[in-house]
Amino acid sequence: MIDEKILVWKFNRGSKDALRRLYEKYKDDLLGLAVTLLRDRSLAEDVVHDVFVSFARTTGRFVLSGTLKGYLSTCVANCARDKNRLRSSKDVGLDAAENIESDSGNPVKCAAGCEQARTLQDLLGRLPYEQREIIALHLHQEMRFREIAEALGISINTVQSRYRYGLEKLRSILNSAVTK
Amino acid sequence: MKPIENTENFVRRGKAKVTTGPRMDKRVLDDSFAAMDKTLGANKTNAARMILRSRLARLAAAAVIIVAVGLLMVYRAPVPPPPPRTTSVAKSPAEMLTAMSLNLAWRRGGIEAVDEQTSKAFEMLGSQSATVSIHELLAESNGV
Repeated sequence: MIDEKILVWKFNRGSKDALRRLYEKYKDDLLGLAVTLLRDRSLAEDVVHDVFVSFARTTGRFVLSGTLKGYLSTCVANCARDKNRLRSSKDVGLDAAENIESDSGNPVKCAAGCEQARTLQDLLGRLPYEQREIIALHLHQEMRFREIAEALGISINTVQSRYRYGLEKLRSILNSAVTK
Repeated sequence: MKPIENTENFVRRGKAKVTTGPRMDKRVLDDSFAAMDKTLGANKTNAARMILRSRLARLAAAAVIIVAVGLLMVYRAPVPPPPPRTTSVAKSPAEMLTAMSLNLAWRRGGIEAVDEQTSKAFEMLGSQSATVSIHELLAESNGV
C-alpha cells in the first residue's frame, strides 16, 4: 500500500518509470476484468489502453482516495460499459481463450483450471451486463459493495440485489447444466 | 456450505488470468507517455493557472499584491509642502494689531500666524507699569 502511494506520488511528479510500474502491476488484472465484462479480447485491450491513457493525463493532479486497484477497476468497468453500449448486441466469443492461464503448475490442474475459467466466462456471458459487472468487481477485483456503489453511482441496495440475482441466475444455469 | 457460497467460490476460482502481449504493452505505454508529456507541458506553460488552482497559493498571491500596492502608495504619496513662514511686515505693535494686519496674518498661516503675530506684538510692548497713563500707552501703541 505504501509502495503504491510512493508510486502514485512519483507519477504525480512526472515519473514515467512509476507509470510503467503501475501499468505492469495492474495490466493483467484489468485486462481480465475487461475480458470478463466484454467477452472480446480486442475490445478489452482498447478499454485498458483508454483507461491508462486517461490515467496518464491526470499526472500532477491525481488524488488517490481508496486503492488504486479499485480506482482503475472502476475506470475499466465504466469504459467497458460505454463500449458495450456502442457495440452490436450480438454475442461475441472469447477470442482470448488461448491466453487464459491457471496459477497451478500441474498440467492436469492447469487444464482443469483453464476449462473452469472458460466455462465460467461462458456462464457469466449469459448474465445481464449489470449483474456480470457487479459480480466481477466484487469477486474478482475484491471491491466492497459500498465501493462499487460509490464508483458506479448507484445505491448499495441496488448493488446487493444485482449481485444476489446474478448469483442466483448463475446457480440455476449451473444446476440445469448438471441435470442435463 | 450454502449453495450461494458454492457459487461464489466457483466464480472466484474461475477468474480468467489473461496476460497482455508485448505489442499491447508497447502501444499502451507509448500512448500513455505521450499523454503524460502533453499534460506536463501544458502544466508548465500555464503558471498562473497553477497558482489559481491552489487556495493557499491564491491567498499568498493576493497578499503579495496588497502589500506591494500598499508600499507603493506609502512611498509615492505627495509630501505636503511646509507651511509658509510667518513674516511680520508691520513695524510697530500697533501696526501688527490692526485689523488689516491680523487679516493678512490669518490668510498667511491661519490661527497660528495670528497667534504668533499677537504674541510678538505683546512681546515688543513688554511689561508696563500699572501707573502708566492712557496717553503714554496710546502713544507707545501708535509708535509715535
